[in-house]
Amino acid sequence: MRSLHIEGDSVLHRLPAGVKLATLAVISLVLFKIDIPGLLAVAALAGLVGHALLRISTAEIWHRMRPFALIVVVVALFTAVFSGTTEGLTAFFRLAALALFASLVTATTTTGDFIDVITKAAMPLERLGVLRAQDVGLSIGLVIRFVPEILSRYEIIRDAHYARGLKPRPLSIIVPLIITTLRSADEIAVAIDARGIRSQK
Amino acid sequence: MDIHFDKVEVRFEGRTVIHPLDLTLSERRIGIIGLNGSGKTTIARMINGLVKPSSGRVTVNGFDTLAQEDEARGQSGFIFQNPQNQIILPLLREDIALGLKSRKLSKTDVTAAVDAVLDRFGIRHLGDRRAHELSGGELQLAALASVLVTQPKILVMDEPTNQLDIKNRNLVEETIRTLPEDVIVISHDLNLVEGMERVLLVRGGRIAADGEPARVIGEYRAMHGVPA
Repeated sequence: MRSLHIEGDSVLHRLPAGVKLATLAVISLVLFKIDIPGLLAVAALAGLVGHALLRISTAEIWHRMRPFALIVVVVALFTAVFSGTTEGLTAFFRLAALALFASLVTATTTTGDFIDVITKAAMPLERLGVLRAQDVGLSIGLVIRFVPEILSRYEIIRDAHYARGLKPRPLSIIVPLIITTLRSADEIAVAIDARGIRSQK
Repeated sequence: MDIHFDKVEVRFEGRTVIHPLDLTLSERRIGIIGLNGSGKTTIARMINGLVKPSSGRVTVNGFDTLAQEDEARGQSGFIFQNPQNQIILPLLREDIALGLKSRKLSKTDVTAAVDAVLDRFGIRHLGDRRAHELSGGELQLAALASVLVTQPKILVMDEPTNQLDIKNRNLVEETIRTLPEDVIVISHDLNLVEGMERVLLVRGGRIAADGEPARVIGEYRAMHGVPA
């Protein structure tokens, strides 16, 4: 399985995961308060500079951003058509900056650290008897774990089309992608049970 | 080990997968052989509580896999046919630590336990590697480490040498031979099960032969017309 985390010893790598997530939340709120495209473009550029400082190559940045690129472009186009060019640019740079900052967090935080911080954050709910904090942490960790895996699966299915001389079409990609992902999720669930990760009291 | 199958039957969608089974497993090394779909994996999965009997009961070291699920599951570790399915988190070190999460150990204790199990298999250098970067043999050792960190008394392995080249197969076979834990191995690799104390041959959801490896393997070969 692939990982969004990138090995390193930068300041961001050393920062506690909780601090990074809280900062990301604050930055997200600020980005949604700003509606000047130029300022948002600077924010997006800052996100790119952050990647460069972590020595993440352009190809890797594109690989990480690709799943969001379509959403960002579609939302920006719709906004531009229905609300005007300035609003479209605002939406584009805002979402791009958000995705880039989030990518900086996932690049410098291991899945285990994500699970730890989310489990701690959910502890008050566990004390109220609403849920098991460990389950929440594990669920979010698994979501992060599955993002690159789904991308890898997409590439395998696409290549299988090419290998058979077929042109990949959305439906012929999405159906096997959903089936293999669900099957994999089932296998992971069995492994979690087998290793007693959830069941121990 | 002390495992009892007491009149155990397993049915799936109206089909009987395991016919009424009475079995006691107490040897330290047990092999289970049989054709694909014969029911050997179902039997093995019942030991870890991954498959529940439709009727009857399975006890592992005195714990009922239905009534005392957590305690029974804590007795055994299960290694899947494809170790990729077993590694849950990308980095090996954090995946091994995940097995200890619910034990509420301190970070220092978790690190010590992870280092100890990595050292045990001589793979500490792989701790910070990602699962997809490991070779087949390394992945199998990683799966072993991820299971044995919780110190189960019994290890159940489903086709541990499947898909391995000759070098990695040798490495994994040697590791299995030297494990201090009790081991149950399901395998098509007859060389591997030959070294066990007892071998079960499963056929059509029933135990078709049970006993000393050479005899049971001989019966298996004869049953399918395969010369020794």
